[in-house]
Amino acid sequence: MGQSQTAGIEGVALKPIQPTGKKKGKLYLAVKRHWRLYVLIAPVLVYFAVFHYLPMYGVQIAFKDFIGTRGIWGSPWVGMKHFERFFDSFFFWRLLKNTIGISLYELAVGFPIPILLALMVNELRQGAFKRIVQTVTYAPHFLSTVVLVGMVVIFLSPSTGIVNKAIEAFGGEAVYFMTEPAWFKSIYVFSGVWQQMGWSSIIYLAALTSIDPHLHEAARVDGASRLRRIWHINLPGIRPTIVILLILNVGSVMGVGFEKIFLMQNSLNMESSDVISTYVYRSGILGAQYSFSAAVGLFNSVVNFILLISVNRIARRLDQTSLW
Amino acid sequence: MTLKKKWLGAGVSLLLAASLIAGCTQSENTGGKGNSGDSGDSGAAQTENFNPTGMPIVNEPIQLTFFTGLAGTNGSTPFEERLVYKEMQKMSNINVKFEFVPFDALTEKRNLALANGDYPDAFFTARIPAADLMKYGAEGVFVQLDGGLLENYAPNLTALMEKYPALKKALTMPDGHIYSMPSFYDPEFLPMLIGTPLWIKQDWLDQLGMKEPQTIDEYYNFLKAVKETDLNGNGQLDEIPYSGSGIGPFIDQIKGAWGVGTRGLGHKYVDVDPETNELRFFRTTDRYKEVLQFINKLYTEGLMDKDIFTQDSKTLYAKGGQNLLASTINPNPITQFNGEGYVGLGALKGPHGDQLYTHIKVPMVWPGAFAITNKNPHPEATVRWMDYFFSEEGATLFFMGKEGESYTVQPDGTLEFMDHIKNNPNGLTLDQALTDYVSWMGGSYPGYVNVKWFKGSESLPSAIEAGEKAEPHQIEELWYNFNYTPEETEFMSTVGSDIHTYITEMEAKFVNGSASFSEWDKYVETVHRMGVEDYMRVYQTAFDRYNGK
Amino acid sequence: MRLRNVSMFDLINGSMLTLICLIVLYPLLFVISASISNPAEVLSGNMWLWPVDITWYGYERVFHNSDILTGYVNTILYTAIGTTVNLIMTVLAAYPLARADLPGRNLMMALIVFTMFFGGGLIPTYMVVRDLGMTNTMWALIIPNAVSVYNILIMRTYYQSSIPGEILEAAAIDGSSDFRTLFRIILPLSVPIIAVMVLFYAVGHWNSYFSALIYLTDRELYPLQLFMREILIQGQMEEMVNAADSSHAQTIMDEEAVKYAIIVVANLPIFLLYPFLQKYFVKGIMIGAIKG
Repeated sequence: MGQSQTAGIEGVALKPIQPTGKKKGKLYLAVKRHWRLYVLIAPVLVYFAVFHYLPMYGVQIAFKDFIGTRGIWGSPWVGMKHFERFFDSFFFWRLLKNTIGISLYELAVGFPIPILLALMVNELRQGAFKRIVQTVTYAPHFLSTVVLVGMVVIFLSPSTGIVNKAIEAFGGEAVYFMTEPAWFKSIYVFSGVWQQMGWSSIIYLAALTSIDPHLHEAARVDGASRLRRIWHINLPGIRPTIVILLILNVGSVMGVGFEKIFLMQNSLNMESSDVISTYVYRSGILGAQYSFSAAVGLFNSVVNFILLISVNRIARRLDQTSLW
Repeated sequence: MTLKKKWLGAGVSLLLAASLIAGCTQSENTGGKGNSGDSGDSGAAQTENFNPTGMPIVNEPIQLTFFTGLAGTNGSTPFEERLVYKEMQKMSNINVKFEFVPFDALTEKRNLALANGDYPDAFFTARIPAADLMKYGAEGVFVQLDGGLLENYAPNLTALMEKYPALKKALTMPDGHIYSMPSFYDPEFLPMLIGTPLWIKQDWLDQLGMKEPQTIDEYYNFLKAVKETDLNGNGQLDEIPYSGSGIGPFIDQIKGAWGVGTRGLGHKYVDVDPETNELRFFRTTDRYKEVLQFINKLYTEGLMDKDIFTQDSKTLYAKGGQNLLASTINPNPITQFNGEGYVGLGALKGPHGDQLYTHIKVPMVWPGAFAITNKNPHPEATVRWMDYFFSEEGATLFFMGKEGESYTVQPDGTLEFMDHIKNNPNGLTLDQALTDYVSWMGGSYPGYVNVKWFKGSESLPSAIEAGEKAEPHQIEELWYNFNYTPEETEFMSTVGSDIHTYITEMEAKFVNGSASFSEWDKYVETVHRMGVEDYMRVYQTAFDRYNGK
Repeated sequence: MRLRNVSMFDLINGSMLTLICLIVLYPLLFVISASISNPAEVLSGNMWLWPVDITWYGYERVFHNSDILTGYVNTILYTAIGTTVNLIMTVLAAYPLARADLPGRNLMMALIVFTMFFGGGLIPTYMVVRDLGMTNTMWALIIPNAVSVYNILIMRTYYQSSIPGEILEAAAIDGSSDFRTLFRIILPLSVPIIAVMVLFYAVGHWNSYFSALIYLTDRELYPLQLFMREILIQGQMEEMVNAADSSHAQTIMDEEAVKYAIIVVANLPIFLLYPFLQKYFVKGIMIGAIKG
């Protein structure tokens, strides 16, 4: 039953009219037959070539001591110096731990919730309530980070914040949320979930629209409950989307953003909140450490890329969906 | 499978190779390696047009273009249309085109300009860090100003450097040359250098029947009394003895009572031990430990606002506006939150008898406020143009504009903006109204700030009073900033930065009690293990250079 | 269809969603209330839901700024053109890459994904843009960001999983070329995903400011975000204030109100895009296609 759902365009693989000849002949014919598809994708490939591959030589900044006026080619080569500097830092392991820790926490909590939300909203009948829910949940995405963090600090203030006022009303003691290292990651992740869950659920809602309602009809006739139908029809129906997004999210684990962490960080929660991006920022205050930040960025990219390839490979084995 | 992999590999390599080749042929900048300010051929023609003294600076008009940093508060009116530069153009005969770059984009655009070779004749208000001055000065991109240009064509700045030798030291790069002109505050006006005194509410002192604290103990007693008395008369004990934005400012203010920080605010980790006359890493000394212990006592006894680690200045000012603050640190309570009745404290005497006012800023605020590039065909004229603003007439023009047009001279000699600027008929704020006349809003400009022509909150009577109290106890020598070689900068940005981070973190923990003082020795050991020895070596070298050894 | 049939499931689902809505709604109301409240009350925690001490200063400041209109016009223009370019480019890439029978598609996919991780950085990219003569024009904001790899992947996944093979087989048998298949069949079936793409790209353009900051020098070309940042940053400058009286204190507080007002003003238009697009998230588009 589920097979035809995922067959898609992959099912189309018309056989060549020519009898099986040499491999090269087959390939040449296939290319010739699909020339229109190549024409379609050509502008995009040109775009990537010009705007991404042409400037790619700039990557070597990470291995040089960049001096603006000598250009990227003329600047002196220093090999792994910047990387060593980064690895030698007193805080290297802590930075790594915090960066990856925050990302994994975000993944564990923030990845399933939009899916759940989409499944729930999808069950609503078309109408005002459904539109209201969708609109309200996606609104926080538009708040700027500065305002979001500002609100978080106000709400969690030990003296005037409503959260602590509520805790005290129930007889508890005020919790110093923003200065306890143990709370940092949770505050960061859950405020992020609050802000993004509606927005992130949109893609799943779109994917859910393509699920054949007949499947539901048939299952209902068979006596399946709502929950069972969701589990056996909806979820598998959007599985390719889920898998692709999961792969992409794993491929950005090292890229914990700078702005939000920086605004939430203070000297008391540093041991939990110091991540790679904030470290690079601090390091660059004295003097333009262009090459250093390029080197750290490259390190992050390499790790991300390796993670992506690994997860992609796993996905290809377990599932049919993968990036390539 | 292997065929596919081969294609993949081939494809990627081909594209990368293409990128490398393309990159090679990209038009890249060739930074000239000249070091003097002379521009060769045009020299002769220039000397004829150029006047070494007096106005106009050139007989036939010349055109210069400046890369100009623009602050958000500085409006968007082009500089060429503002009174100050229109006047300057009339006087000097030099047409300056100011290319605006918002402060937001400053670092990126500066790097881009240098990398593309697209930079104009000078960088103006562009916040060039000392490390860049050194780096690009050595490449010849920034013109060497010592060795001729300053001596011959910048009499005003040279006079300032002679009067205040530390200024010269702070402007000189490790290679011995000067590549820039600074943003410089008058070193003799103490309230300006104090900037943010420790304010205390006089009304409440009176209500409690206490006199102004002269010692740390007296200050402590005041704080304790505040906590227990309803001083603002609202029936609640909501008064906050001390609040601020982070504990840093408070530490900086009171550490003098334990005799540390003897060389001013420009050096927050190293000073000179008055007994041995040697450099001292004072953040790990026992005296400094006592500072932290005192603050920890304040925190645990509830005398310090619990929000201090997280609140920003706006939240602090909101509390001030509600009449909750007994003491705080900021430029001036009146201008920041309408706080009446505050006085600034002088130096407090500590338990060992030290009474040192160490909260004194470095008067040279931006070394790289102005730099001339090697693309400038008229370096001498440019130097003369910029130097004019370091003279009294020039500075007055820069900050106040023109007498009768933007300001008037009061009977007591002070200068005041005219009514149409101060109380703009169209409802513009002061900053907005000024954008037709001057361009100093937002700071970072090259120039000389003196109370004669610039009135910040530091010139209010309460600030002046605070300055007078601080004067007898101010530190004997104020170090300006040291300049580091590229290797030293790298050290300071890595090991140095790590040490600073660790210290800041641990101090916060000692203060709020999450780290106990029984761990102090272990903490000191860790800090030293991180590289304090090398740190001090770098410092010593830079210090020796600073003193011209 | 039974209209009044509300099952247990619906009740639980509905109440959970209502709860979620309320949790999300509260901070949003906070922002709106904060934008018209006395900032001192907001900062001291006295304002927690309804506006306290209503003041319109924040909005006044924002609208007094004559640049706002320029910014709005520019942003709408950049968003409209940019999103159109994005859509075209994304479809042009997603459709061929979704076809399993296209030789070399994995290679192309890998090359494209590679660029998500590795790039030359700002300086070489800037040089390319400059050499193409796009600096200080609208195109510098649109062409270098002509398409997002992330979105290509999402659209490709949609095609692979949502368009049944039978449709394409039928089209091929009918002798439809790839071009025709794309236009006549694929695109109409892609309405939901195109709606999503419009949303993603439009919001991206609307919020972007960095490219504008780097590539534009003429103020008349500035998008809304750049002006908004100017207003926001103005309130944060405390350096060198030539204020010798208490007027400055009021200015500081007022900037807080501006912060919230900016959020509302800058985001309201784009925020309304989704409710507008929601009607395109229609179920069952496929059945009609198959039956037909």
